[in-house]
Amino acid sequence: MYSLLELLSLAAVKRSALGLLIGAASLPVVGVFIVGLDIIAVRFAVMHVALLGIAIGLLTGLDPVLCGLVLCGLAGAGVAPLARRPTGLTGAMGLLMTFAIAGALLVLSVSGVNASGAFALLWGSILATRATDIVILAVLAVVVHALFWRKRRELGLVLFDRELALCSGVDADRIMFVLLVLTAVAIGAAIRLTGALLVVDGLTLLPALGARNMARSLRSMVIWAIVLGLLGNSVGFLVALAADQPLGPVLVLVSGAFTLLTYLIPERARDALTSSRTSRRRAAPARRPAVNRLRQP
Amino acid sequence: MGAAAVSFAAVSCRFGQVTVVDSVRLDVAAGEHVAITGANGSGKTTLLRAALGLHPLAAGTVSVGGQPARCAADWVRRRREVAWVPQRLATGFFPLLVEELLASAGAGADAACHAATELGMVELGARPLHTLSGGQLQRAFLARAMGCIAAGARVLFADEPSAALDFAGQEQVARLLAGLPVTVVVISHDRAVTRACDRVAEMAAGRLRVVA
Repeated sequence: MYSLLELLSLAAVKRSALGLLIGAASLPVVGVFIVGLDIIAVRFAVMHVALLGIAIGLLTGLDPVLCGLVLCGLAGAGVAPLARRPTGLTGAMGLLMTFAIAGALLVLSVSGVNASGAFALLWGSILATRATDIVILAVLAVVVHALFWRKRRELGLVLFDRELALCSGVDADRIMFVLLVLTAVAIGAAIRLTGALLVVDGLTLLPALGARNMARSLRSMVIWAIVLGLLGNSVGFLVALAADQPLGPVLVLVSGAFTLLTYLIPERARDALTSSRTSRRRAAPARRPAVNRLRQP
Repeated sequence: MGAAAVSFAAVSCRFGQVTVVDSVRLDVAAGEHVAITGANGSGKTTLLRAALGLHPLAAGTVSVGGQPARCAADWVRRRREVAWVPQRLATGFFPLLVEELLASAGAGADAACHAATELGMVELGARPLHTLSGGQLQRAFLARAMGCIAAGARVLFADEPSAALDFAGQEQVARLLAGLPVTVVVISHDRAVTRACDRVAEMAAGRLRVVA
């Protein structure tokens, strides 16, 4: 029996911890996009697309995860035009999911590939994280943060209301396209980390849902999401190792517990937190001239 | 009055097989203020949304400054030329601050802040939109439109801009609109607003007729 410290000194565990930290610092931002676009069902659709990609990879002998990643990106790009419709993306996600799972099962059947091999990849294993996975996650993290911090004004408008964004001169359709491709690729890229069946909940969606309870602006929502992502996944990782339990479910349960806490925080306490932040902003008039003009007529 | 600043030429719009805007023709001169009234569902909002490219045209064209919009780039330019106060004020739970909404007026952000102050929005800059009342939200969108006008928009489309306001607010909005030196097309059932306009048109079952 290894102690926790001994486990943490193992190369595979170190690599998984690094991957998880990079993921927890960036994938919650993708979760904010998912919540903003109201496409929580996207994770199911992308999981099935990833399975189809994995099946194609197993059939052709290419890297299954890479195939899943590419197909996820293509699927995100494919559904982007449907976001302009008043009915939104919910129906499109259902259609995509159905097509993908049917296609995956057909490909697996035709190729005679063992289906359990493909499904095993969907369950994922953090301890199987490779150096390549870390590089992909790191690139993804840079892209996600660069997009958010450079385009956060436009993103805020698009995520709040596409039409308001359009009428503010924002190229909402292009941003929507980028967001959907990025979201799909991010889910695909994280498959190796905790597995598709748990990845979105633990690393993307749960921190974003908690952040929505705590934040009053897009910027603070992203910061809260990253904090909750790092906290939930770090604690979950350590608890799973210490208790010698599977990482994926423990991560999700711990992240879920932190998210649940944000629902239980009394509104008065939340207001106190946000009003203290507002007070700090008022103390810096030079940085926000327009807002101060509004506040001090 | 000069040449038409806004021209609706045989505009028709549909929802599926249902025609909601039927061959509407209306020329609005530069600087003219036109109010559109009519029963719910008569096609008023769809007409203005179509003019901004937010609803597809089934037939006809809408020109602003003599320019019809034919491609995506035209619509982008159109939306910069027109200040817009929407009827459906998005109030989802996604956090957007009042100050961020006002900043979306671009070069007119400061003017939007000034207008917000005039409209009684003092101290609301750091509030998320979903925590505002309907009336406060309407004032915020009006202030943003004032900012867009300051930034160069020569036309204002306003869809029931005073519907959620109290009597004093309605009077204030009517005065504000009346004093605007730009072309205004406003959908309103508020008499204070319609009285301040140069012409009033009425929509019924998708058809438009000028009544005053």
